[in-house]
Amino acid sequence: MAVDRVERLTNLLALLLETVEPLSLVQIAAELDGQYPDKDQSRRASFERDKAALRDIGVPIDTEIVAGGPYAGQTRYSIDRRSYELTDLDLDPDEVRALQVAVAAVRTGTSASKDAIWKLGGALGSARPAVSAVVPARPELPTLRAAVASKSTITFGYRGERRMVDPWGLLLRSGFWYVIGHDHDRGERRTFRVDRFDGTTADIEVGPPAAFQRPASFDPRTALPVDPKEIGVADDHVDAIVEVDAIRAVAVEAELGSERVTERLADGSVRFRVPAGNGPAFRSWLLGLLDHAQVVEPASVRADITGWLRDAVAATER
Amino acid sequence: MSGPRNAEDRLRRLLVMLPWLMEVGEVPLADVARRFELTEQQVQKDLELVAMCGLPPFVDEMIDVFVDDGMVVVGVPRLFTRSLRLTAPEAFSLLASARAAMELPGADRGGPLGRGLRKLAAALADVGIEATPAGEDDAADETAGVAIDLARPPLTDDLAEAATSGSELRVRYYTPARDEVGERTIVPRHVFVEGGNWYVHADDGRSGQRRTFRVDRIERLEPTGNLRPLLDDDVEPPESFFVDASVPRAVLLLGPDASWVIEQYPVDAVEPVVDRAGWVKVTLPVSSDRWLAKLVIRLGSDVELVEPTIARAAVADIARRMLAVYDDGDT
Repeated sequence: MAVDRVERLTNLLALLLETVEPLSLVQIAAELDGQYPDKDQSRRASFERDKAALRDIGVPIDTEIVAGGPYAGQTRYSIDRRSYELTDLDLDPDEVRALQVAVAAVRTGTSASKDAIWKLGGALGSARPAVSAVVPARPELPTLRAAVASKSTITFGYRGERRMVDPWGLLLRSGFWYVIGHDHDRGERRTFRVDRFDGTTADIEVGPPAAFQRPASFDPRTALPVDPKEIGVADDHVDAIVEVDAIRAVAVEAELGSERVTERLADGSVRFRVPAGNGPAFRSWLLGLLDHAQVVEPASVRADITGWLRDAVAATER
Repeated sequence: MSGPRNAEDRLRRLLVMLPWLMEVGEVPLADVARRFELTEQQVQKDLELVAMCGLPPFVDEMIDVFVDDGMVVVGVPRLFTRSLRLTAPEAFSLLASARAAMELPGADRGGPLGRGLRKLAAALADVGIEATPAGEDDAADETAGVAIDLARPPLTDDLAEAATSGSELRVRYYTPARDEVGERTIVPRHVFVEGGNWYVHADDGRSGQRRTFRVDRIERLEPTGNLRPLLDDDVEPPESFFVDASVPRAVLLLGPDASWVIEQYPVDAVEPVVDRAGWVKVTLPVSSDRWLAKLVIRLGSDVELVEPTIARAAVADIARRMLAVYDDGDT
């Protein structure tokens, strides 16, 4: 009779946890009598599948190859109980509860944090929080986070080019994850969007630890300009004066802050000083205000916008 | 929850269930099922299965657990008394969730979440998610390399408070689809942040339905003094509220520089355009013609509107109106 695969997996796990000496596949099959196929080839295939399943679940399986003697070259398997078991986090009950509440309030699109809470002895329950956040999960993140922690240089494909970067930190902003760090080839600090990495996590090469020093007081939150209109402008700083009509002026003032107001007009319109050095970001922001906003000066930015709009009209007539 | 489950999923769940059962000793089957999000049949089947597991000389007594009269009973524990370590994705996800929760309205940094987070970061070295080793350069870095920015408009906290208490509010709201500001009465039920924008899911007095509003479009709010606590329990935040089969769709060709659209907005389909390198054809839900026209104008030469062709008139109309604002001299 075929054994239920869960039963065989559980027995394999128990055997490798309990064994004093690493075991070869032949020994494993003998211990789990009748649970693996008799033929060498299909036995190996079944075992490899089970091993992959256990590793996928997170079970650390050690392998060693016998060095000498009659069994030289044979692979043997075991599980180190200390690395199998969860490190005691020494969490107080109120801390576990707080983490449960945090996990319930954050939607990642995966069950990973729920599985983590279960392992910590908690459970999510049915209470629904009044406030929640959507935090996208990306498969690259654990690897990148480990590289940040160990200060390992990473190499990865980005828009068809290999980049070598000292990762200083990870930042989630506006729904996107960024890696911020020192780009070796460019010789300066750069920001990369994680979802734009080429390939998969396996294509990220992680170098040896302690390869760099993070600059003193580096904080990813201040390293990336909050305002996309300021991204990419270091030297060529350009401000534009933008007039916003009464309908949208309240919202724009709330967005930009009152310190950017240069003039309040009688009809309720408000003029703002807006960073325009990053052309595309400024344009996208301005156009989003439709006919409620116009560039007053400088003329070059004004011409850029009117030219853009004329092209848009022309495109509809093609 | 009760669909077919593969062997890996069943074992994964068993490995979190068993240590907990050994801790509590005896517990109603229904409680186990609810806690681990399984049916009672699934729990019973899997527990009976592992109870039969065993190796010589401990056959049948390795995992001493049985289900009797609706109760799960655990005998002398031998194996699986401790949880399996966290996997790297689990540890990261937990850390990121805790950090995100710390940025939500009402978070208490010095409270149990902050303490739990510090212990978590400190103890996860085995999965590469370790706390930054104490060093001079890191002394000032409280983020340990992972920062989450959920910056919120000033009114968010008031809305979150109203959602907790069920307070009715009178708000001034800008409606982009009609391009106008109006007054309406809402009762906030859930406040959430997605893609950098804050939203409030609320009972809308005008439509009589539950609607989602962007917080940054609320210009002003004041409580009416009425309390409307929730009677039902169905405030599940919309999983992805813009995706709705009834919303009309548009088909666009996007150039390489417009690929952010795919990431920023929900799209039904993306396929490469055969004869144009780097271009893709996308189908996406469109909340209003104005929204679509605005998107097309913002993208300029990086977009081509395929369907609905009728929207071209709206694009031209809006672009002309925007140009008209400049028709005062230098154009």
